[in-house]
Amino acid sequence: MRYALLVYSDQSAWEALDPDEAARQRTESMPRWLALFDELGKADPNAEGHELDTAATARVVRVVDGERVVTDGPFAESKEQIGGLFVTSLDHLDEAIRIAALVPAAAYGSLEIRPIVEQ
Amino acid sequence: MTPDERHGSLEATFREEWPRAVAMLTRVLGDLALAEDAVQDAFTKALERWPRDGAPRSPGAWIVATARNGAIDRLRREQTFARKAELLGRLQDVPADEDADMSSIPDERLALLFTCCHPALAVETRITLTLREVGGLTTREIARAFLASESTIAQRLVRAKRRVRETGIPFRVPPDHLLPERVPDVLRVLYLVFNEGYAATAGDALIRRELCAEAIRLAKLLCVLMPDEPEAFGLLALLLLQDSRRDARIGNDGELVLLGDQDRARWDRAAIDEGLRVLRRAEAMRRPGPYQLQAVIAAGHASGADPAAIADAYAVLERFDPSPVVRLNRAIAVALAGEVEVGLEMLDELESLEGYLYLPAARADLLRRLGRVTEAAAAYREALARSDNEPERRFLERRLTEVSPAAS
Repeated sequence: MRYALLVYSDQSAWEALDPDEAARQRTESMPRWLALFDELGKADPNAEGHELDTAATARVVRVVDGERVVTDGPFAESKEQIGGLFVTSLDHLDEAIRIAALVPAAAYGSLEIRPIVEQ
Repeated sequence: MTPDERHGSLEATFREEWPRAVAMLTRVLGDLALAEDAVQDAFTKALERWPRDGAPRSPGAWIVATARNGAIDRLRREQTFARKAELLGRLQDVPADEDADMSSIPDERLALLFTCCHPALAVETRITLTLREVGGLTTREIARAFLASESTIAQRLVRAKRRVRETGIPFRVPPDHLLPERVPDVLRVLYLVFNEGYAATAGDALIRRELCAEAIRLAKLLCVLMPDEPEAFGLLALLLLQDSRRDARIGNDGELVLLGDQDRARWDRAAIDEGLRVLRRAEAMRRPGPYQLQAVIAAGHASGADPAAIADAYAVLERFDPSPVVRLNRAIAVALAGEVEVGLEMLDELESLEGYLYLPAARADLLRRLGRVTEAAAAYREALARSDNEPERRFLERRLTEVSPAAS
């Protein structure tokens, strides 16, 4: 089974931090991220993970009546924005839940598990 | 045997053998829907052949072997199925001996139960799937029990099996470290099945009774499959003890009769004894839990225990389960133990039960006991406004008349 693990968190809180504090928190969370990559690597050596740039960098594209409309993001009202994602092949849902709970962001944001539809 | 009796005994055999066969085939095929189709085919064949040729020596083994052969035929006809060769290979390992002893066939029912009760499924779906796959009830029987159309239930089951496959819900007994979080999910589904039959919110009494009996049967199965899980025995004890009072709960005119006013001669003594035996077995494991405590409370009611002891048991239960419903019941128990005003204060702290009928009903009762009739009448009216259950309404209306000043 392939799963997408979508990482949600409140990025505005993160962006409001002064750079030194942000750097300190990053360093502090590093061991937890390494533990995650270790477990994920064991469960699926080919797993992919990506951190996304801030929502402020987003461009939103729609085609309206055949016209291309490009606007700034973020477009959602919700405080939590997607900040990263993993795509991984795991044995079953319980395994995906176990891995998701290891993502450090699960402690201050949330992880959404979506099975990838296979044809 | 009359044809009807023969059909009845076939039905009982089917319910017994269905989960064993579905579980076994799911383990091998890795897909609940494929497994169920194969087992359904085997049962259809049984329905043709057994009345004609007589039942086989080992009905369970016959079903497994026939389902296996049917699945092999089905797979061979399949042209495009990518995993065909692999699955055919695995099916070769399924016992093909129709006369085999059932003990030689691996029992995968517990894995099936955990799959059906997986928290990734909606609660309603878990209940339906459990009744179908583990209970062996037909779609029609489930539809009757829930006053739903057969097609609604059939659709729900199709979606459920697709959901299990597409989200990768595992077919397994969870590892030990996950059991404390997953066992309560299973217990809850069985409890909800029972409650659906017991609460009688609507529908035919006989069908409801069958639902309670089915929940008890499934709880017994869980005790067989998890003999070291005290909460499984706690749940079974609780269901038996509650069920023992079923007949006494409804009066001659169909009105609800409260525990204190029930005719004890109408309690089912055998069910109480069995419940108490099962509870002792749970308690001997010395790992208390919420179902055991509820069973302790139910046992206390059944044996006419000191009301203060029952109130104490609720205090312990509240530590395991501080939900508003438990707190409400504790408040009532405290009041019944003589401390009516303390009970009333505890009720007044429960603001979070908006829309829950039993809060105003309980308040009304305690106010009545304190002689505060005007407030009691207001609370009875509030409870009446929330109830659509006929026996309950009659009970509340009678009490409302009692606390209202006689009409001049």
